[in-house]
Amino acid sequence: MVSLVIPSDISFVVLTAVTIIGAIIALQAKELIYGAIALAISFIGIAGFFALLDAPYLAMLQIAIYVGAVVVLILFTIMLVRRERGEEMDKRTDAAEGSMGLWLAGLLALAISGVVALAGTSLPTQAPAASLPVSDLGPALTLQYPVPLIILALLLSAALLGALVLAKVER
Amino acid sequence: MVTLASYLIVSAALLGIGVYGLSVKRNAIRILFAVEVIVNAANLNFAAFTRYMNPPQVSGQIIVFYSIAAAAMEAAVGLALILVAFRLNSTIDVRKLNKLKG
Repeated sequence: MVSLVIPSDISFVVLTAVTIIGAIIALQAKELIYGAIALAISFIGIAGFFALLDAPYLAMLQIAIYVGAVVVLILFTIMLVRRERGEEMDKRTDAAEGSMGLWLAGLLALAISGVVALAGTSLPTQAPAASLPVSDLGPALTLQYPVPLIILALLLSAALLGALVLAKVER
Repeated sequence: MVTLASYLIVSAALLGIGVYGLSVKRNAIRILFAVEVIVNAANLNFAAFTRYMNPPQVSGQIIVFYSIAAAAMEAAVGLALILVAFRLNSTIDVRKLNKLKG
C-alpha cells in the first residue's frame, strides 16, 4: 500500500476550496458554458473528497457519471438552447430577490453548522483504522440489495426513454 | 485535524450555495446546476457518515451509488424538458414560463 505524501489536512483544505469556489462560479458566471465547466471542477472536488474518505469506487463513479456524462449533456443542451449573439440568457437578478436568497441560504447553512457544533462531542472524531475494501461493494450490491438494483435499472431505462420521447421533434 | 464535523460543515456550505441558486436564479439550466450541487452535498454526507461508522458499513456507499444514478436520470429528463420548453416558448427563463398560472 503506497502511502500518500500529502497529509490529509492539506488535501482537505484544497478540496474544500476547489469544491465551494467551483460551485459558486457555476452559479454566478455570466456565461452558462463557463458555469458548466466550473460545475465539472466542483464535481471533481467532490470526487477528491470521496477518495479522501476511502471510497475509491465512488470517486471513480463520480468522475465517470457526473464529469463524464452529466456535464457533457449539460454542455450540449446549452449549445442547443443558446440564443443569437447579443441576447443575454441569464438576466441579472434584482437586488431584493438576491438578498432574500442570500439570507435564506446563509440561515440554512448556519443552522446546520449550529446543529453540528451542538452535536460536537457525540460525533466520532476518529475514523476507524480499517476501511471497507472495494471488493465488498459488489456482493453487497448483488446479494444484499438485489431488488433496488433491478428497480434502478428499470428506472434508468424508463427515464432515458422518456427523455428521448420528450426531446423528439414531431415532423 | 479533519473530523466528521469538517465534512458536515463543507456539505452545509454546499447546500447553502445550492439553495441560493435555486431561489434566485431565473435560467432553467442554472437551476439544474443548483439541484446538482445540493445532490452532491447529500452524497458527501452519506460518504462521510459511512466512513466514520464503527464497524465499517457498506450501505452508505451503496446509497451514494443509487443517488448518483438517480441524479444522472434526473439530469437527462430535466434537460429534455428544458429543450421542449425552449422549443415551445423560445425562452428558458422560469419567470416567463408561467402559462399554467391562473
